[in-house]
Order: sequence, then structure tokens, then C-alpha cells
Amino acid sequence: MDYVVGVLLPQLLHGLVFGAALGLVALGLTVIFGLLGVMNFAHGELYMLGAYAGIVVIGVTQSFWVALVVAPLLVGAVGALTEVVTLRPLYRREPLYGLILTFGLALVFREGVRQVWGGDMRRILPPVTGSTPLLGMTYPNYRLFLLAASSVLLFGIWLFFTKTRAGILVRAAVQDAEMLDGLGVNVPRVFTLTFAGSAALAALAGLLLAPIFTIYPQMGVELILLAFIVVILGGMGSMGGSVVAAFVIGVTQSLLTLWMNPQRVAIAIFGIMILVLIVRPRGFFGREGVLE
Amino acid sequence: MRASLNRVLGWRASIVFAALALLPFMPGMTRYYLLLAFDALLFGAVAMSLDLLMGYTGLVSFGHAAFFGLGAYATAILLERGVLSLWLCLGFALVVVGVYATLVAYFATTRRGIYFALLTLVFAEVVFTFFRYTQTFGGSDGIQGLPAPVLWPGMPLDTPLRNYYLVVAYLGSAWMLCRVLVGSHFGKVLVAIRENEDRARFLGYNVQRYKMAVCVISALLTGLGGAIYPGRAAYATPDLMLWTVSGEFIIMVMIGGLGTLVGPVIGGAFFILLQEKVSSYVDWYFMVIGGVLVLIVLFMPRGLFGFRHALRARPWRAPA
Repeated sequence: MDYVVGVLLPQLLHGLVFGAALGLVALGLTVIFGLLGVMNFAHGELYMLGAYAGIVVIGVTQSFWVALVVAPLLVGAVGALTEVVTLRPLYRREPLYGLILTFGLALVFREGVRQVWGGDMRRILPPVTGSTPLLGMTYPNYRLFLLAASSVLLFGIWLFFTKTRAGILVRAAVQDAEMLDGLGVNVPRVFTLTFAGSAALAALAGLLLAPIFTIYPQMGVELILLAFIVVILGGMGSMGGSVVAAFVIGVTQSLLTLWMNPQRVAIAIFGIMILVLIVRPRGFFGREGVLE
Repeated sequence: MRASLNRVLGWRASIVFAALALLPFMPGMTRYYLLLAFDALLFGAVAMSLDLLMGYTGLVSFGHAAFFGLGAYATAILLERGVLSLWLCLGFALVVVGVYATLVAYFATTRRGIYFALLTLVFAEVVFTFFRYTQTFGGSDGIQGLPAPVLWPGMPLDTPLRNYYLVVAYLGSAWMLCRVLVGSHFGKVLVAIRENEDRARFLGYNVQRYKMAVCVISALLTGLGGAIYPGRAAYATPDLMLWTVSGEFIIMVMIGGLGTLVGPVIGGAFFILLQEKVSSYVDWYFMVIGGVLVLIVLFMPRGLFGFRHALRARPWRAPA
């Protein structure tokens, strides 16, 4: 019982917290994949940009909460600009070109950040300190806030995609962009705004996780592989699947660290992904036949 | 004999290789430039091997760094234990890379497009994680301070000049093999798979077997390139296997031109020279390289050399 409360439960919560933030990153990735057919290699860099934009905004305003609103907006604008300038000319081309293009963009962003802010590790102090007694243990307030904020956001995104006209347009574009175009919707604008939105989500996740992790130019590279695995596990293009898979990966990773060193955990996660792909290539919720 | 050699090599290539053989006698070819030429030709040949997969079969591998790195480690492990024969090192590298590549190819070729890219990436990441984080083969430092391999008794490959000729020989053999493959029936089937995999299957070809075969061949050529790398660098480190290195291989192919064989060789050499020259002036050369890649994808998708074959533009359709 002591083991459950003292070790297992905190680790489980850690997993949920990380899974929720990972879900925000993976959700954007999977929507972009559904829309443009592009696996966005620069997504990890947008996540990283979110943390650095947070540092800048906090430096100016001294407020984490302002940064939480402004930084994603800034990165969203960067995302919109990127989409219009680089991805829009590729709409009619083979999706693999998009993959290669975003790899180049990732290099530019990563190196640009290193030039501006240097390669050092940086930290953001958590805006909420202290901890709360919870189910017989104490748990840091900030992590609880992170879990709550991410969950509310994920729920809000679900509402957006099911209840609002804009969300339904995005889903329609995922399903059949040509038909949507034929119905008179400005499809390129849908693409651009969606890309901006997914960039903002990644940035938000980056800033939310910043007080727990450290900030450095390579942080996106570390995360993006995990996000890819989440998207594949959830089923490419399936939004619900991505969120579920993010929690599964977050919790699995967190629990496995109890018994293995982190490197073994990484290999185990890769192993899980390879197994799932062999047994059920479309992932948890992927549609049959999509890219199998 | 001369006629058939000419057919395999091509007369333009013969001239180029003759020029490459004479290059060390050019005035101003210092040790530095010889080593630079070594790298340029080595990575040119690696990019060409990747082109078999990317350009001809339409499969983008994000895991080629693992093949390269495994080849390098195979040589390094033997050299470290005092086995100096180059031929044994190359043979060992072929076996190691071959076994691993068969495994990867078996699983990865059942998928196409982005799944293939991501599967190769994940497999490579497993290998990287193993070498980087276990101390069996030196961990993050890798294996350092290796002796030079020996071509035959009394002929160690210990000067830049000898290494240079080794890499020219490697490039030449790889070039001839790729050309024969591409010109053969096998090569035609690969292109058919790239253009329309389902149609190739309906025509009765065992598509997966062809894809596996080309994967393994491409991996073996890349592994051989890796195997001669420690002879020049005297080390093998896990950084050779980073997935961003696989990305660099892809950049080389894209710069040169998909599906041209010659293009990627030029692209690889260009990439190495650009990196060397730019990094000697500024420390943000990756930004330049990333920018070059973006510009090439946008404005020159067929690369420096790719004016004939390229992935075709397709009508707009919902990708999923």
C-alpha cells in the first residue's frame, strides 16, 4: 500500500501530466498530417520556439500568465508565415517533398534559436509553487495545474472540432479538400489557419512543460520522435487516437522508469511501436487502408 | 573486355575517374584537401546508395545513418581488437549490416510512404540508443584512437593518399554496381514500383521481395562506406548514427537530384564542401544547409542534376 501511494501513484500522475502535454503536440501533428499529408519534422522546433518565446515574453512582462497567451500567438504567426511561404507551393506535389522541406525548416529554426539565445540550458520558474496533499501523498501544484490546463484544452479542442463551423470545416478538409474547394470554401486559408493553430498548440505545450523540463535548442528533436510514435500508434490522421496514444505513451514511459534506466525505456517504447505496427499497422484508431 | 567495361562504367564516368585518380598530383593538393576529397567522395557514394532507394524505388529511408554507423563500428571493433586486415573488416561490416538491414527491410517494406520513413527512423534510433547509452562499445565516446587497417601485409592505409585511392575504388565499384542494377530488369521493376506499386503487383511481381532486395543492397553499400570511414578518422562514434545524419544523406540526394545516381554523388560532394567552407567562416552553417534544402525543394525539386527523372507532380487530392 505504501508502495502504491508513495511510488506508483506519483509516477502515474507524472505520466498523465506528460501525456497531456504530449497530446497537445501530437494533436497538431496529426491534424497537419491529415490535411497536408506532411509529417511535420519542424513540429518539435515549434514546440521549442514556444518555450523561447515564453522566455522573451516573461522577460518583458515578468508574468508567466501573459506569456502563456502571447507566446503561442507569436509562434502561431510564425507557423502561418511558414505555411504560406514554404508549404503552400508544395500542395500539388508528392507529400515526401513536404517531409524533406520541414526537415530543412527544422534545421533553420534550431540553428536560428542557437544563434539568438545560445546553446545553454535555460529554466523558467514555475508560476505556482507548493504542493497539495492528494490521496495520501503530496503532489506539486504546478503539475496539477498543467494536467488541468492541458485536459481543459484538449476538451476545448474536441468541442471546437465537433461543435463549431470552423472545426467542422477543418475536418471536412481532412476528409476531402477538393470537394470542400468545390463547395466554395477557401481551402488554402483553412490550411494556413490550421497550421498556425497546430503551431500554437505545440508552442503552448513547450511553454507549459518548460518549468518542469529544461529549455535548450535541441529540446524539439528529443520530443518529436516521441510525438511521431504517438501519432503512428494512435493511427495517422486520427485526432482522438493521438490523444489516447499520448496518454498511453506518457504513462507507460513514466511507469517503466520505475524498473528500467531511461535508455532501456526508450528502446522499450520503440519496441512497442514496432510491435503495434506489425500487429495492427493502422494504429489504435486509424482508418483501414490509410497508408498501410 | 574493354568494350564491356566501357558499357558498365560509361565513357564520361571513365574520364571523371581518370581525373579523380590524377587529382592528388594537382598542385596545391595538401593533406587537408586530400582528406576533404575523401569525405566528399565517400558521402557522395553513400548518397548514391540511398538514391537507389529514394530516387528509383520511391522509398525515403530516414535510417541510413544506422547502416553507415554499423559499418563504421564493425571496422572499429575489429581494429580495436588487433584484426587489421581491411578485407576482414569489410567482410565483417557486410555481415553485420546485412543482418540488420534484412531485419529492417523485412518489416519496413511492408509499408510505404511515410510509414516506411518512420519505421526506418525508429529502427535506426534503437541502434543509436544502444550504442550511445550502453558502455559495451564505448558509450557516447565511441571507439577512439584506432590503428590504420592494412590492405595486404606491409601496406597499411595510413596516409591520406592511400585512403583517398581506397575511397575512389569504393566509389568506382559502387557506381558500376548501381549502374548495372539500374539498367537491368531489376532496376526497371524498381521504377515500376515507384510509379505504381499496385500495378507492378498486378503484373505479377513480388513487390515486397524487390523492395527488400533494394533496401538491403542500398544498406550494404552504405555500410561499406561506413566501414572505410574509421580508416580515415581513426574513430567510430554514435553521433554517426544520429537520425539527423540520415536527414543529411537525404539532403545530399535532394541537392544532387533524385533518381540520377550521378546527381547524388555531386550532391554529397557539394554538401561536404559547403559544410566545410561555410563552417570555416561562420558557426551557423546548419542554417545555411537547412535554407539550401528548403530552396531546393521549393525551386529546384529535381536537384542540381536531376533533369530527367523525378517524382512526378500529382493532381491535388486529399492525402488521407
